Amino acid sequence: MSLQLFVGNLVEPLSGRTWQTRDVHREVARRTARFQAHGVRRGDRVFLLFGNRLEFFAELLAVWRLGACAVPIDARLTAFEIENLARTATPRVAITDDATPPELTKTLGNSGVAVIGTTEVDEMESDTHEAKLDSDALILFTSGSTGEPKGVVHTHRSLRARWMALADHLPGDAFARSLCMLPTHFGHGLICNALFPWLAGRDLYITPPFRPDLIARLGPLIDEHEITFLSSVPPMWKLASKIAKPPQRATLRRVHCGSAPLSAAAWEEIRNWCGTRHVCNAYGITETGSWVAGAREADVAAEDGLIGEGWGAVVQVLRTNDTTQPLRAEERCATGESGYVWLNTPALMKGYFQRDDLTSKTVADGWFMTGDIGFLDARNRLYLRGRERDEINKGGMKIYPSDIDAVVERFARASDVCAFPIDDLIYGQAVGMAVVLQDRQPQTISELYDWLKEHLAEHKLPSRWWVLDNIPRTSRGKVNRDAVRAACEDQPPLDLPAILAGKNA
Amino acid sequence: MSPSREERKTDLLEFLRTIQKAGVPIENLGEGERLVASGLIDSLAILQIISYLETKYGVDFSEGGINPEQLGSIGGILDLIDEQTK
Repeated sequence: MSLQLFVGNLVEPLSGRTWQTRDVHREVARRTARFQAHGVRRGDRVFLLFGNRLEFFAELLAVWRLGACAVPIDARLTAFEIENLARTATPRVAITDDATPPELTKTLGNSGVAVIGTTEVDEMESDTHEAKLDSDALILFTSGSTGEPKGVVHTHRSLRARWMALADHLPGDAFARSLCMLPTHFGHGLICNALFPWLAGRDLYITPPFRPDLIARLGPLIDEHEITFLSSVPPMWKLASKIAKPPQRATLRRVHCGSAPLSAAAWEEIRNWCGTRHVCNAYGITETGSWVAGAREADVAAEDGLIGEGWGAVVQVLRTNDTTQPLRAEERCATGESGYVWLNTPALMKGYFQRDDLTSKTVADGWFMTGDIGFLDARNRLYLRGRERDEINKGGMKIYPSDIDAVVERFARASDVCAFPIDDLIYGQAVGMAVVLQDRQPQTISELYDWLKEHLAEHKLPSRWWVLDNIPRTSRGKVNRDAVRAACEDQPPLDLPAILAGKNA
Repeated sequence: MSPSREERKTDLLEFLRTIQKAGVPIENLGEGERLVASGLIDSLAILQIISYLETKYGVDFSEGGINPEQLGSIGGILDLIDEQTK
């Protein structure tokens, strides 16, 4: 298969660097030759331990040209988590940049992975095209970094299906100059905000993710580069509406917001700031190649939780979430009746990496059970009302409580643990934790904190701790995270800063 | 009589304690040290600092906008309060 490089220009507004299309071709060809020199072949996996810069996209396309599979990794993970992912995915090579923490490079080297800096390229070029349509193209690890990793595997076929569906459902001109301020190790930022427009020949403007100083300059940035499109998550707008002057030149033609549906009030506030009515929720899930539903005409009347119609997907709301039984028409909810949201799309992932057990828990007859709760209106538009997925949505970063539990359970003086979402002013949700300890001595708490710091990426660290005598469980012995949270909310959390300050004093 | 800079600092530190990440003793931070770079707060915690300044000192950011750089240190925040309460 010839991987067409019908790419647009790449621009880093912050550094001022630009790669024209011909530069991209050259950089990809050089990296392809470099990968070949390192023995990368079809079917190999390559870790990309950096992102949100020009070189990331050249590395990605070079990996694909060789028929290998790219694995973008969040470089904020700890060495423990990276080692665990490397043990699972066994990459042949890992690509880093100057921002990759040295301990991660060392860990990978110790695991036998060849580590290469992204700027380590010479003049040699290769134009080989080894990719097959059903080859693995991308693995995005969404959870399990501390235990059994859960990696969403997309093939070239499923990714192309996503991009073709979006091209059919969205106005192409709106994406002429797309700004991506989202992380490129997430499906939302990578597959949809960045690659969808860029691989359709549109220009892509890429910045580091979630930087308040950049958000403070968002309006002038949009004006200066005549940005026509950007995607976003709600916390970006909380900050932008407070600290950033709106754009003045009315270049924005469309804005998406993902991760959690906007309230009608927040929706209108964003429209006012952006100077366009064409702002809508984009419902995205990594397993479906991210954006899978939304409003075709983004200037719809804002309503709480309104998503819209499927973009290259059939959306059904059923009374069941059971993937072990064949789906039956009589399980379908009536118009306006809430139930479980299921999706059928040719952009569905191939499955979870080496975890058929997990795949079978979410996919039945090609239908994907999202874990979201919603309903369809008389016009077949989807509204979201909540979710039953066991996850904490920290400003669009999905954190899995079981990843935190797995680390605490290995701490010798912890008897039981339950992580859960707590409300957060900025992120919507943050991480809370109830833990049962063999003693409540400050020394023990300090050591548990150090243990967590060593094993968990910082954004996953619980910000509020409660030490309990026991974790409430159901009669069947299961933890009900909502019940644990409710039990904790009745009492003050630990004054962790004071305890740790005592240690440091 | 309006509170002194030292009294404002005491109040600011009390507030920062409520939003800080554990493990970074706030008492050891100098006025010029960067709050985010030191690991005391998350970069988006600037929103909470803005809310504090609006509520506690009635600072109105809607006209002049916000310079995230100025809100990045204890000294910078105190300077801003001084300017706004003159």
